[in-house]
Amino acid sequence: MISPHGVGLVARQEVRTRLRTGRWKALMTVWFLTVNGTALFFRLALEASISSRDASLHMFGGVLLGVLVLTMLVTPALTAQSINGDRERGTLAALQITRLSPADIAVGKLAAAWGTGLLVLALTLPCVALPVLEGAVGAGRAAVTLAVVALLIGVVCALAQAWSALVTRSITSVLLSYLTVFALLVGTPVLFALAVPLTSEKVTTSRHYAYDREHPDRVWWLLAPNPVVVLADAAPEVPARRLPVTRYDSRGRPYTELVRYNRRTDVLGELGREIRGLRAGGDRRSGDPERGGPVWPYGLAFNVLLAGGALWTTVRRLRTPVRTLPSGVRLA
Amino acid sequence: MDAYYGDAEHHDGGSGHGIEASGVTRAFGTVPALQGVDLTVPYGQVTALVGPNGAGKTTLLLILATLLAPDAGRVTVAGHDLAAHPERARTAIGWMPDQFGVYDQLTVDEYLAFFADAYRLPPAEKSRRIRALLALVHLDEYLGRPVHVLSRGQKQRLGVARALIHRPRVLLLDEPASGLDPRSRVELRDLLRSLAADGVAVLVSSHVLSELEEIADRVVLVDRGRTVGAHAVADLAGTGRVRWRVRALDPDALDAALAGRPDAGEVVRLPAGAEVGPLTEPEAARMLTELVGAGVPVVGFGPASGALEAAYLAMTQDRR
Repeated sequence: MISPHGVGLVARQEVRTRLRTGRWKALMTVWFLTVNGTALFFRLALEASISSRDASLHMFGGVLLGVLVLTMLVTPALTAQSINGDRERGTLAALQITRLSPADIAVGKLAAAWGTGLLVLALTLPCVALPVLEGAVGAGRAAVTLAVVALLIGVVCALAQAWSALVTRSITSVLLSYLTVFALLVGTPVLFALAVPLTSEKVTTSRHYAYDREHPDRVWWLLAPNPVVVLADAAPEVPARRLPVTRYDSRGRPYTELVRYNRRTDVLGELGREIRGLRAGGDRRSGDPERGGPVWPYGLAFNVLLAGGALWTTVRRLRTPVRTLPSGVRLA
Repeated sequence: MDAYYGDAEHHDGGSGHGIEASGVTRAFGTVPALQGVDLTVPYGQVTALVGPNGAGKTTLLLILATLLAPDAGRVTVAGHDLAAHPERARTAIGWMPDQFGVYDQLTVDEYLAFFADAYRLPPAEKSRRIRALLALVHLDEYLGRPVHVLSRGQKQRLGVARALIHRPRVLLLDEPASGLDPRSRVELRDLLRSLAADGVAVLVSSHVLSELEEIADRVVLVDRGRTVGAHAVADLAGTGRVRWRVRALDPDALDAALAGRPDAGEVVRLPAGAEVGPLTEPEAARMLTELVGAGVPVVGFGPASGALEAAYLAMTQDRR
């Protein structure tokens, strides 16, 4: 049912019509300058307070977090009018009666939108690449985090496209798409915060003493779908640096030993450790990140499944002949 | 235009007609749109679908175009059952909706090339086909120009070209004449006639009844979701009573002659003559003979409305 020819044709058509409408070049330029300018400013602010090497590391984490949140906010605009917008313009039905299959149309449009999203991400590369070039962050870490952001952009594209296929008016689907992103970014931590008190148990330590113990390890999965959590936890840990420490042996003679210095990490690393700590069950202080295990595979899997379901919904809604027509939908 | 078909793939599926539909019903929610439509559209003919607003013409065309599923009834297009194999019928169907959008950002030829690709036309044939179609709809001087510079009527013609890009054997046109200037209408008429001559089954819905009479071989009347009549246009002429228009060099003499005739029906004075009737053709012939015999200088005598219009008005009479 799906063909490379059809997907390619629809994707090229989408990109072409997109490029020729609106002021894409101006928008992209503004985006490029804003993101990279802000990142540079952030770096300068960091330099003023900490060492240059740490500033570089912190810049990476902060910038990627910012890039993720910003792209999550920009992405719905790419597909939230993908289907119902074409319906409103009266161009969809002419496509549906050709030899293009519903999957060709849905996947082609999604590919074009995702591609645009990746271009948006690519424009942030200079400020992401700087810490890598400075040697503060490994290329592998940068690649993994960028891949996660790229995948999450695709997820949001698919979700917004499904809304545009489900809802008649494009203004409604835009709103619903932003609410969906909001639910993932803000809704999940709120839900988690509300759920944690419900997990509290009375722990009796002696006849006279008992206290309430909360079990975030039972509801940690509420946080897993959060894009920030996925990104932070998926980011490989910064390799521990070994610092020379001067010690004294039993006879009082000094010697130098390399000691693992583990606390050196950026905002992503901190977030990742925190979430693993929560999964391990302790409160923020006693939770041992090493025991918790990774959270991001669950979150990423959930998001990818959600995107798959969204794509499936879009394909279903593009199928013709239509049996049940929602009120207000005009086929042609 | 080059030969409409590259090879002899004229008829297929063993079915004798381009479209065969029987007992088609469709409701939107609780509102019935079609309540039992029967329709046959033969190859090589232009069939007109005529009916008042809300009769279900557009709904029927959406079903025939494989966009909408009927609640009940059987529809085959080019020999393919739409319920079982809509995708097979699609390669045989050309469809132009009453309102449609075009990709304003594309040029005229890019627009057609996109649909040529969507129908998987062989690349070697594509540009020749596009040029031929643009010439056919008289848009050849717009090759390479953006679609948004076209007027409404020109876009309509581009829509016709789009509907023809894959050489469909069944052509569905929903109100194709709306928005066209008189010259374009004549050209559209000639185009549809030549397509029919090439063996295409053409179905046109329209309100412009006088136009249809010149285009169509057959007319199918629908009202309130039902087929209420199917006629050959040739048979319609001469049936029923219509009003007649008489033009005379001396309107006063005509007035005087008509005043003495109770069989003239309701006489309405016109600038250079009068309108009388309704009369059947034999009655009209007799009246013409007698007017000329009475010395009235008659220079024009003909039906005030077309046969199609008469049939249409007779059908919708009970609505008033």
